Amino acid sequence: MSNVINAQHLTLAYDGGAKEIIKDASFTIKKGEFVFITGPSGSGKSTLLKALYGALKPTEGSLVVGGLDLASVGQSKLQELRTHLGIIFQDYKLVNEWSVAKNVVLPLMIAGYSVDVQNTQAQRLLKHVKLSEHADKYPLELSGGEQQRVGVARALSKNPVVILADEPTGNLDDYSSNVIWDLMENACQQLDTTVLVVTHKIPTIFSLPYRHFIIESKGVYEVH
Amino acid sequence: MKFIKNHLMFILPLMAILLGIEFYLVFDRTTNSYEKGLKEGYSMLVVTKKPMKLSMFQALNRHISSSEKIKRENIVSEIAKGVSKNSNKEILAALPYFYNVRLDSYLSTSGLEKIKTDLEKDKNVKKVETFGSSYSSSYRLFSFIKFTLKLFIVFMGVVSLFLIIKQMEIWKYAHKERMQVMEIFGAPLMLRSGVLFRVAIVDAFLATLLTTAIFLYIKFQWAANSGIDIMMQNKTELFKMTDIAILLVSALFIVIIAVYSVVFSSKGVEE
Repeated sequence: MSNVINAQHLTLAYDGGAKEIIKDASFTIKKGEFVFITGPSGSGKSTLLKALYGALKPTEGSLVVGGLDLASVGQSKLQELRTHLGIIFQDYKLVNEWSVAKNVVLPLMIAGYSVDVQNTQAQRLLKHVKLSEHADKYPLELSGGEQQRVGVARALSKNPVVILADEPTGNLDDYSSNVIWDLMENACQQLDTTVLVVTHKIPTIFSLPYRHFIIESKGVYEVH
Repeated sequence: MKFIKNHLMFILPLMAILLGIEFYLVFDRTTNSYEKGLKEGYSMLVVTKKPMKLSMFQALNRHISSSEKIKRENIVSEIAKGVSKNSNKEILAALPYFYNVRLDSYLSTSGLEKIKTDLEKDKNVKKVETFGSSYSSSYRLFSFIKFTLKLFIVFMGVVSLFLIIKQMEIWKYAHKERMQVMEIFGAPLMLRSGVLFRVAIVDAFLATLLTTAIFLYIKFQWAANSGIDIMMQNKTELFKMTDIAILLVSALFIVIIAVYSVVFSSKGVEE
């Protein structure tokens, strides 16, 4: 299996390198793997995720995602890469003035799919996340769990190569959490999607084999 | 209410610029026509020893556009009533030649003085009479009004442009969340800024429409009943249909520059 993510001597920092968060980390993640990244609060889990979708450039070392070195990639290549990523945020990052259906098909809209395709996909995905009856509502009319399911549906809408999820079930009820884990497991199993989840706690009931990395004292270590 | 306010905050400064542009066009056209009238109504009197052709005057100064010979016979008949025919001929032979000389443009007093000096350099020219003083005062007043109006229009345009950019920044802030999410999912700059362009272009059309309505009212209602000669005589110059195209192109140009300046002045929003 090919490497989808390859970090070599990766250092991530803020304030122009003054505030190091991750230092000299090396790891690889292959296609179709399910990966959990855990660590204490403020350890740099979300920072690593940001770097993986190109919102933070490595200060040193290399970080290759889908064959592109994010340390030196240009803006247009980065935009292209992001269209192949499905990103899920703890705070959902939905567009509140758009309907649920429109939020779900955002990646398709960006890719230039026709309105018909977008509508069909919206119906299919919302059925998948058990929100069919909420298609025309606005995000703020939904509960936190429902909003996160919209976020997951959006991340899955274009069959991404990699799903990056930042605390996707933080603060959610058990029902919504289980729906979200099921969806991500299915994507990994059925579509061979690489899933990378940043979380405080690995779910107790999880059927797939997975890898576990822990971030501690600026290092990224694999737990065997 | 907030929606209307947001749009008015953009449309009003844009209208101020468009009004400025239209006022400039109208003023320029009206003053050009007024200047033409002044120029045509103004002539110099040149007295020469021998007859002179237009080309000879033009060789002395290029601003001379026409020369009209004043019939000496009329002058003689006026000053020598009751004099014999022979004496008449002698007077005629002794009289110099008189010319009404017109200019190609509306010149300052110094310009007129220069023409006078150039003409008097020719030994054949006996005297040049200009009517500089009344001409000069109206010319100075005219130049002053033109200058202050242009200055005011430029100043108003700059202030309005800053207001437009400021409003655009407010819009950008209002749409920040949406643009941020779109950027994360790989939307190119033009797609995520699309909403700003759409709103700005719609407002450019509205501002053009309102400005046109104001000028059509001025042309057909106000100017027609104003009692101001220059307005009534030059009513056709007040607003031409081609001005709508000029205003629309200007409005679109301004809003596109404003959107670009706001969109490109900021870095990626999610960092």
